[in-house]
Amino acid sequence: MDLEQAAGFVLEEGKRYGIDSFDLIATDSEDIGIEVFKGRIVSTETSRSRGVGIRVLNNSRPGYSYSERFSKEALSQMVRDAMDQTEITDPLDMELPGPKPLAEVDLKHYNPALEKLNFAWMREQGLALDHASWESDKRVENVPHVGVGKSSTQSLIANSKGVFVKKESNVAYLGTGLVVAEGDIKKMGSYYRSGRDISQFDPSYIAKEAAYRGTELLGAKPLPSGVYTIVLGNRISPQIFGMFSSPYFADAVQKGSSRLVGKLGNEVASPKLSIYCEAHTPDYPGSRLVDAEGIPTSARTKVLENGILKSYLYNLESAKKDNVLPTGHGVRSYSGRAGTSFSNMIVPLGDKTRDELLASDSHCILVTKLEGGAGCSAVSGEISIGVQGIYYKNGKPEHAVDRITMNTNYFDLLHKIQGISNEYSDSYSSIKVPDILISEIHVAG
Amino acid sequence: MNQSNIETLIDAGKKRKADFVEIYEEESRNSSISLRDQKIEQSLAATDYGIGIRLVYGTDVLYAYTSNDDQQHLLSLIHLLADSRGEAGNGSGTFTLPGDVSKYSFSKNIHDPRKVPPFRRLELLQTADTVARKVSSKIIQVGVSASDIVTNVLIANSEGLWVEDLRVRSRFFLSVTAENKGERFVASESPGALKGFEFFEGLAVEDIARKAGERALFMLDAGYIEGKKMPVVMGNGFGGVIFHEACGHPLETEAIRKKSSPFVGKLGEPIAQSCLTAYDDGTIEEQYGSLKIDDEGMPTQKTLLIENGILKAYLADRIGSMETGSPRTGSGRRESYQYAPVSRMRNTYIEAGKDSLDEMFASVDFGLYAKRMGGGSVNPATGEFNFAVEEGYVIRNGKISEPVRGATLIGKGHEILPKISMVGKDLELAAGTCGASSGSIPVTVGQPSLKVDEILVGGR
Repeated sequence: MDLEQAAGFVLEEGKRYGIDSFDLIATDSEDIGIEVFKGRIVSTETSRSRGVGIRVLNNSRPGYSYSERFSKEALSQMVRDAMDQTEITDPLDMELPGPKPLAEVDLKHYNPALEKLNFAWMREQGLALDHASWESDKRVENVPHVGVGKSSTQSLIANSKGVFVKKESNVAYLGTGLVVAEGDIKKMGSYYRSGRDISQFDPSYIAKEAAYRGTELLGAKPLPSGVYTIVLGNRISPQIFGMFSSPYFADAVQKGSSRLVGKLGNEVASPKLSIYCEAHTPDYPGSRLVDAEGIPTSARTKVLENGILKSYLYNLESAKKDNVLPTGHGVRSYSGRAGTSFSNMIVPLGDKTRDELLASDSHCILVTKLEGGAGCSAVSGEISIGVQGIYYKNGKPEHAVDRITMNTNYFDLLHKIQGISNEYSDSYSSIKVPDILISEIHVAG
Repeated sequence: MNQSNIETLIDAGKKRKADFVEIYEEESRNSSISLRDQKIEQSLAATDYGIGIRLVYGTDVLYAYTSNDDQQHLLSLIHLLADSRGEAGNGSGTFTLPGDVSKYSFSKNIHDPRKVPPFRRLELLQTADTVARKVSSKIIQVGVSASDIVTNVLIANSEGLWVEDLRVRSRFFLSVTAENKGERFVASESPGALKGFEFFEGLAVEDIARKAGERALFMLDAGYIEGKKMPVVMGNGFGGVIFHEACGHPLETEAIRKKSSPFVGKLGEPIAQSCLTAYDDGTIEEQYGSLKIDDEGMPTQKTLLIENGILKAYLADRIGSMETGSPRTGSGRRESYQYAPVSRMRNTYIEAGKDSLDEMFASVDFGLYAKRMGGGSVNPATGEFNFAVEEGYVIRNGKISEPVRGATLIGKGHEILPKISMVGKDLELAAGTCGASSGSIPVTVGQPSLKVDEILVGGR
């Protein structure tokens, strides 16, 4: 059975079992990729993974199941499994949508030219990137990670009310992670390009950028503990904002997992900051015309504007609870339950350059690297994290810094934003945040 | 997959001149139920199924996986992999497995979770929710889930191995959120074991829920420690995550073979003080990271990593062993058929020592007692790690003082290891999930209480 046949069979089975209401998510992905180490293709991978997941609402009680087998027996068992779960679940006040017209936008998520990329192309690119990585700087000591690959995915959303939406997408990547050394100090620099425009996949440029990201941190030393002005560089500001996306989800607010409860219409951030969800921007990875529950998306949802909290993001369940219309932010994989997510999280560009931000205080730290997110909690807002970057004095780079930590709270940090730069990083990402200038951050060193 | 199909696939790989061919088939039945906001958030029962095919040429790995078990499709994947290397077929030979399949199954103590109705798990969740909320009216949210997975794996290879292993693991997860005037703190617990439903039957759910609720409440009012370098006494149990991340990952041959570890070439050399001995042991009965056989079909073992401060061994899978010369240790692991196996930890711990917790506190004028760790991560290539402290206390003049929140420990594993100067008697193990190149796998971490002479503590 292919994807459409499997979905069709499940829809028929659902009707046969007399289920009131149900929806399904199905995906079928093909990936190929290689890894190169010291001029050798050390790993080659090809995969075909697929699965279908069903959510049934039986007398309003939800039940989930999924199957990675596409036989009639397995899919029928999946429907029965989901029905069995409804015997113990609590009723859910929620109605599945019927089909609605979708925006006529070409999201440019599929490039037929990528389908022609084969192992021979990957071998050529991978070996060229490995070579370029070793040659990119004399301080390169090791190149443990060079990878090239592509993936193609078909996905399908359908429900018992007649929604049936199929999507096709593909993407390719080429990247390197290298170690640079000076004396006993080692730093890692990584840079990956991904997307559908392979003319951007220049091994020489990628290697040089990775080497720059490592070498700029050589010679790093700590700073004395204190309170500093920092600039979150646009490579890592998306990581910080991404870690703290859930407080804007209505279900997190409703379940006590967000400090933004009761803050709609209030000032929760500096007036310089706006956060939008933009779902129709072509060639952004998070763009989608319909969410995972069959709700059409909007081109722009204003979440936070000039510091004022404008809207939470809703899926079907959380919208019904707040008696509002869903905003098209339901997400779900075939193996998971329905949740909420930004499509693309966008912080609009500001009008300052990064250098202007860095010159705004006599002592400033440009943070370019985060060391793990274990000390960050989206519920409490806690940020306690090791960082690396460059120390600036009077607007001029003084030296690289490491072995320091940044300690603050995300909800306090929002109020301390003093400036936003006019540039995003060039990564292929669904989170676009420029450089962010923040005052009064505790740094331990 | 039957014997004939396996033999045909292995034969096809050998005909394309692979030095080694491995077939890995996996079917998992997983179930989970979660409660949040005092409602069943999700109840799920599902099936995962797939096949992984590994061809090895020298030490070059070619891997394919699929959830489609059609024999022609599987053969096409083998040829696709071989084509990617430009390996022509030689057309000779027919592969035959030499014996019958070896089967490992459940012990008779296992209560098969597939035969337990979902409401039995629901009772546990409701008990945990009720007990945690009773701790205080400031407890505003409780999330709790129970999950289990029964997996049947089949591993066959061109060396004649043909083995099946039936595995069952169970995990309980609880998070409790306390709130006061807009401030929030989340405390969590997540025990797990290589056990069936008897794990939940024997679980002290009320005790776990009450302690998590009390910790969330207690830490809610905690202040912050002043960030700087200081001595740190680390709590036992999940404190072992720091050794797992900072030292365990760099001892895997996956890092060693790429010269991407500070411990390359250090076998036989002192890397820690003589008070420190550490193991990675896949054989501990019922522990979350235990296995009868690893995911390459090799029986697991107890591996001495560091003995009295001297580096004794790396953790090796097949390819890592071939490239580094280290003997295989039964450490080839993968999350599922969707990953080729690489060397990974199982149950990793520092052995109990001679010091008492009070002696450690007494040796510190000002420092941090990191009683309970959150998660952490490491870059094996540089050794740079970070860990979050979930429950911490200031140590002042040799005694535990006020609680502190939001502390982070950062440093380099190979630099911190020699600074462990005291090792306690109170070894404890704790379940965890480890993410790396072959996916997220169940592991156990552990240690007795430890004193580190100096480490950078992030604070305010």
